[in-house]
Amino acid sequence: MNNNEIVSELENIVGEQFVSDKPEETFLYHYDFITAEPEGKCDIVIMPKTAEEVQEIVKIANKFKIPLVPWVSGINFGSTATPLKGGIVVDLRRLNRVLEVNEDDMYALIEGGTTWAGLQAYLGKNHPNLMAGVTFSPPGTGVVASCLCYGMFNLGMLGGTGAEFINGLEVVLGSGDLVRVGSCSLSDYWYGRQPLPDLAGLFIGWEGSTGIVTKAAIKLWPKLPFRKDFVLMGNTFDMGIPVLLKLSKAGLGICDIFVFSYNWIQAAIGAYEKKVPLNPLKDNLPVFISGVTTQAYTEKQHEAQCEAIETISKEGGLTEAPQGISLDILPYQAWGAWNFSRGGGGEWIGSYCSTREIIKYYKLARETALKHGHTSQFYSRLLFGGHYCVSRFNINFNKNDPEEIESARIILKEIHEEVSSLDGVVMYKAPKWAHEVYEEKIYPATYELMKKIKNLLDPNKVMNPGHGWGD
Amino acid sequence: MAKKKRVSYIRGKGVSKLRLAYENHEVERHQNIEHYKDIVYQCGKCGTCRTVYKDAYWSRICPSGEFGQFEAYFLGGKNLLSWAVTSDKLKWSEDLAKIFYHCSVCLACTQQCQIPEIHHYAGEWLMAMREEAVRLGFGPMPEQARYTEHINKEHNPYMEKHEDRTNWLPSHIKQSPDAKIAYFVGCTTSYREQNVAIATAEILNSLQIEFKILKDERCCGSPVYMTGQAEKAKKIAEENVKMFKDEGIEKIITSCAGCYRTLKETYPKKFGLDHGIEVIHMPKFLLDMVNSGELKFNKEINMKITYHDPCHIGRHMGIYEPPRKVLNKIPGIELVEMDRNRHNAWCCGSGGGVRSAFKDLSTFAADERIEEAKGTSAEAIVSCCPFCLNQFKTHIKDNEIKAFDIAELARKAI
Repeated sequence: MNNNEIVSELENIVGEQFVSDKPEETFLYHYDFITAEPEGKCDIVIMPKTAEEVQEIVKIANKFKIPLVPWVSGINFGSTATPLKGGIVVDLRRLNRVLEVNEDDMYALIEGGTTWAGLQAYLGKNHPNLMAGVTFSPPGTGVVASCLCYGMFNLGMLGGTGAEFINGLEVVLGSGDLVRVGSCSLSDYWYGRQPLPDLAGLFIGWEGSTGIVTKAAIKLWPKLPFRKDFVLMGNTFDMGIPVLLKLSKAGLGICDIFVFSYNWIQAAIGAYEKKVPLNPLKDNLPVFISGVTTQAYTEKQHEAQCEAIETISKEGGLTEAPQGISLDILPYQAWGAWNFSRGGGGEWIGSYCSTREIIKYYKLARETALKHGHTSQFYSRLLFGGHYCVSRFNINFNKNDPEEIESARIILKEIHEEVSSLDGVVMYKAPKWAHEVYEEKIYPATYELMKKIKNLLDPNKVMNPGHGWGD
Repeated sequence: MAKKKRVSYIRGKGVSKLRLAYENHEVERHQNIEHYKDIVYQCGKCGTCRTVYKDAYWSRICPSGEFGQFEAYFLGGKNLLSWAVTSDKLKWSEDLAKIFYHCSVCLACTQQCQIPEIHHYAGEWLMAMREEAVRLGFGPMPEQARYTEHINKEHNPYMEKHEDRTNWLPSHIKQSPDAKIAYFVGCTTSYREQNVAIATAEILNSLQIEFKILKDERCCGSPVYMTGQAEKAKKIAEENVKMFKDEGIEKIITSCAGCYRTLKETYPKKFGLDHGIEVIHMPKFLLDMVNSGELKFNKEINMKITYHDPCHIGRHMGIYEPPRKVLNKIPGIELVEMDRNRHNAWCCGSGGGVRSAFKDLSTFAADERIEEAKGTSAEAIVSCCPFCLNQFKTHIKDNEIKAFDIAELARKAI
């Protein structure tokens, strides 16, 4: 491959300032600098400003048969934006505008590289009565990327996964064609994906391997005048999870329900893994720490909702944290998630699963972690009125220590194997090795369909090769 | 419930704002880059350093990154590039050095990162990388090397003659040859913002402070030190300290934020020159005088102003309130804040050698700050750093907004 020729053509599209093949600039796109997944290599990085520029970039990638990796912040716990087969990283952060907010139908039309900070800033200044669901990711990460990869938000009880927050998409396909899916394919009105064939699925969960999303409409929600964040604690998951499941189905204006293990909280607040109890259960510490957020339109409604939450919690043996704690702090740099072991490395087994498997998931993962001398950093969030949930387990390591990296890889795979025995456990933002497991297990005709779709949308296989499905 | 804020001073490193800081590890300062390589690798390049937390609507905070755009120009990128060259993942090069010099070392990025070690100490390796670049022959940038040469010859970076340094001094200013207090004017004030020097000297006279301006005052060394030339800067510092001692100086008042930071912090902490001289910055001096009743502002100045926090006294030294308190004491002054203020202030783009070596970046930063100031509908931007002031005056177009030093307003109000 002649980089100079490609760079020169790319410069013609976006200008010299926004293309680089200098090692000092491409180095930072080789991988995410967090996980234990292998490094890739970014040969060229480019920063387009418009969908038309993205189209031209895709055409060049097809011409030279060179990989393209869509990228916003490049960090996620599955390393899905790592250029495993080299090529061009398309850093989308110049595509960062909030184009429209429709207050009537409550959605924001944003560009593909918009960050949580960017969206929150815009809403805070211009639409303080509306709120976006926000992830636990840091403020500099991408909204659209998170939605496309099934990220989950602090409004998950209302809207489900990030993917379900998507009303419509504008996408540059691997072939270079620009398409729109959802109501926006018939008008400039981005109210939803219904009632046309739901083509958004061609891009959701594919980890950028079918196209580059240049615009997306994301659902917003009303910020009601009365809000309370409950922090409910219990001694065990056996005690606490049934309470959360009951709350999720009680219709109490709840927009978020999640649970952290004790060690996850310690990580989040920046404690050092080597200095905290490996097994807090032995010290009778409350290992079950949950958050429940409710909001209401009137004070009476709010009081009734809060009273019901308190009653259900007490009946289930949970105690409320004595001091009021605001959970309205997102997005936040929860650096302990990758730095609990003070080596800057972290990776998870993050999965969607049935709500009836949360306790088993926690216990299986915990036992495996303890066996290897790791704490139990578990986290689960109930979604979409309690229809399903996300469960995650983190392992931290020192990025400077090859032995620790290798050990983390082994532990993660062990945990994955254990929890995969439970109902419906499927990783999201799954790294390549997990994909390989699923490709063997998935219904064969389904996988064949995936391959056909991939071939259709990305005939030269330039889009994020090594990631996604049907590669 | 009101958000609980943790605010602490970390050894002259500015006001730090960590929301959840379970553990703070003290890290040795002023070390070489090897010393920090494991700490920098805690960085996950997550991008938190790019924007102000929601206090200021998540605004962008890093002039270098916003201008350079690629990861490399933000703190996260610089952290990992520092790790890369100390771990043989990347070789030193002119391009790498240029990335590290393409930064005003304003440290706004550090205030956003919540990893305590990076939050408190990232400035250490940003400087250590510059020093390493100099050691390896990749730094400073050519323009910075030129002004350093001039400093060695004429003791100022402005290509001016040393003998002209006190040309600003009017005959009515009364000095006391035996005074133990020196007014350290600084290069920018002496050659470019002489109104500030005159106002400061007049205030001192009006308060009947016995002071003198050193006959042979020279550059404090800040522009040399900030561009990674620590050895040369130390030599300058040693000569200056000798001069202060020879002149019998016990207290230095300075109207320059950069000189203040250098004399007060860099000389003893970086160069080990425990000069034992009290160093006071003009706004703090004014506030002390007001609080003690020795200074009274009798004249009204009817003006709506906004205050720009200079990086050298703000994030570098943790001084945010004294200038505001002084301004609020002046009758008629209405002080309004820009969205990005105090530890979140957007840098004016003149420091760290940027104004000389990267004019486009410098202008970009200045223009954005001026626009932000105009957005408050203030009539003037007020600061207490002649370098910021000169930067604003240079970039303000068509008198769209005025720019003053705090000493100029204080002088008018007396």
